[in-house]
Amino acid sequence: MKIVINRDQLMQSIQNVMRAISPKTTIPILSGMKLEANEEEVKLTGSDSDITIESIIPKEEDGIVHIHEVIPGKVVVQAKFLPDIIKKLPEDLVEIEADGELNITIRSGKAEFTLNGQDPEEYPQLPVLQTENSFQIQTDLLKTLIRQTNFAVSTSETRPILTGVHFKLENDQLELVATDSHRLASRKIAMNEETDSLSFKNIVIPGKSLGELNKILDDSQDSIQISVSDNQILFRTKHLFFLSRLLDGNYPETSRLIPEQSKTEVKVDSKELMQTIDRASLLAKDNRNNIVKLETKENNAIEISSNSPEIGTAEEVLNTNEISGEELKISFNAKYMIDALRAIDAEEIKIQFTGAMRPFIIEPLDEGEQILQLITPVRTY
Amino acid sequence: MNEMTTTWSTMREVQPVATRMLQNSIVKDRIAHAYLFHGPKGTGKQKASLLFAMRYFCEQADKSYSEPCYECSSCKRIQTGNHPDVHFIEPDGQSIKKDQIEYLQKEFTYTGLESNQKVYVLHQAEKMTTNAANRLLKFLEEPSRQTVAILLTENTGSVLNTILSRCQRIQFHPLKSEDMYEQFIGEGIPESTAKICAALNIGLDEAKELSQDSWFAEARRIVIQLIDKVMNPKEEGYLFLHQVWLNHFQERHQQELGIDLLLLWYQDLISSHLNREDMVVLTDQLDRLQQYQYTISLSDAKTCVYELLQTKRKLAYNVHNTLAMEHLVLQLQR
Repeated sequence: MKIVINRDQLMQSIQNVMRAISPKTTIPILSGMKLEANEEEVKLTGSDSDITIESIIPKEEDGIVHIHEVIPGKVVVQAKFLPDIIKKLPEDLVEIEADGELNITIRSGKAEFTLNGQDPEEYPQLPVLQTENSFQIQTDLLKTLIRQTNFAVSTSETRPILTGVHFKLENDQLELVATDSHRLASRKIAMNEETDSLSFKNIVIPGKSLGELNKILDDSQDSIQISVSDNQILFRTKHLFFLSRLLDGNYPETSRLIPEQSKTEVKVDSKELMQTIDRASLLAKDNRNNIVKLETKENNAIEISSNSPEIGTAEEVLNTNEISGEELKISFNAKYMIDALRAIDAEEIKIQFTGAMRPFIIEPLDEGEQILQLITPVRTY
Repeated sequence: MNEMTTTWSTMREVQPVATRMLQNSIVKDRIAHAYLFHGPKGTGKQKASLLFAMRYFCEQADKSYSEPCYECSSCKRIQTGNHPDVHFIEPDGQSIKKDQIEYLQKEFTYTGLESNQKVYVLHQAEKMTTNAANRLLKFLEEPSRQTVAILLTENTGSVLNTILSRCQRIQFHPLKSEDMYEQFIGEGIPESTAKICAALNIGLDEAKELSQDSWFAEARRIVIQLIDKVMNPKEEGYLFLHQVWLNHFQERHQQELGIDLLLLWYQDLISSHLNREDMVVLTDQLDRLQQYQYTISLSDAKTCVYELLQTKRKLAYNVHNTLAMEHLVLQLQR
């Protein structure tokens, strides 16, 4: 294999791929990065077995030549030193050559490095994902979906399936759900007609993988293709493939958890509520559960308070836009509430309560965005 | 495929029963979700687990044939430890640690990388703490599809009953020491080393290593010296212990080997008391054995064997090596 390639282009690809490579892997070959060259493109692959990132450098793009010379082939190169070597090379052009004995030579200007490679046949074989099982979505929309749900995944391993976000595509509607059994975040979007034949459910993507995906994607309007197979999901942009293993198991049925009727409904300005709760929770933060209390008052007002016996109390009255239904006193975790309000990101929201001991739901008042946040209260102190 | 590769048919010569059970479960498509391979050191448990994993993933597997092909990319990568869906867990030091089990638990909950088939091989499964074993139980109780766990152990007694009852147990019989001896001699290991290694049930690879190792030669010399000291009431065995023995046998496995070597001496003394010279292992030390036969009675020799076994147990329970050995030497001198 031999390639002569632009250094900046290569460096960018390496940086993307390095995100998937973990220094403490138990599988020796995964400490390396796979380089694969053919007449049209150079492909870099890195993996920690949970996620796999492939970055593609086309030979030529928009009239700019990235790869000047190619002899097809592939090799696995130690990933640990590669970024530093490429970054510090003297010239803009880099030549990478691998001989039959898996010795890799990197040349630029008068600098030359020789690295020991590994056998590319030893590298994990990634599943070839069928394009018929795929659909497209805008990249920035996908990022929003992830941001609005991924925070609610469970961090404890007691119910491993809850550490992921559930993707469900049915009747042209894509739904993402995440819950840690104390709170739940759900977001639905309508898909374009292209997906009508496609439906899947019980695809659960690890929260960690989605976090990485969110970091690596740019906020662009370009579309990203999502393909699903039995054991992997592939997110595919023009030059970047992101694969993640899935969580094995059945995701619990979450639709039953969402109460259909409410006894008390509060409509309130989202930003004001968030700031009020943030202030009230200042004293509650030391407290293990970070609990604040919400109480309905007369004249459409609510009182937010917290009480930490050893420190003191905080109280604040907030005017709402409308309160209907029964009077209510309820306590909940302030962090969950702030997370939920941030995820909704609407000016005005409505909160629907069904009694002090039942979960309550928060939705934007403007129902254009189908987002729903559910929080379980704690017993009133 | 080179000559050294183990196949089921070569395994069959040494472990006929275990091999047949595994071959049948493959051919008849009745693979259990968890196996426990148990048997002494060097009986081929690890090789069997590797063969099993290779056949499970082999891309050219023939339904009616239990051998893997050894040549496809899956087989090759399992041999080099690079297959992403085959996981090996070995004790990190004295026990299988919590984070190792956590890693395994995480792996249980993820789908495979290349397919949904997965194999886990847990070496020295008895070294799991109770806590770790209970975490593993959860997986053994609710196995996911196409996942096979293989637990290897030398000591089923130390594995939790709840784990035992959830695994199909495959017993690996100890090799006959004559067979091992023949094998060692065939590999060019000197006669006296071959005898000792066969008697201690040391595997071929380790035996080869020991026969090249100057540490082992020195160890044998020191063992003889200690025997000389404790057999002679005028000598200071205690002093010798501190000046020589403890400096030489420092690591845990070295300490264990030292005691095993001492055990051989007392077993041989018993053999020669019973006029069973054919059972004697340390044939190169016959003169000494004859001489000490008059120093120490049969029942004393038995007591010493008992003391040695006690010391072995103490070390396993983390009793301080120096204290355990001091106690031992005093007991042997009596």
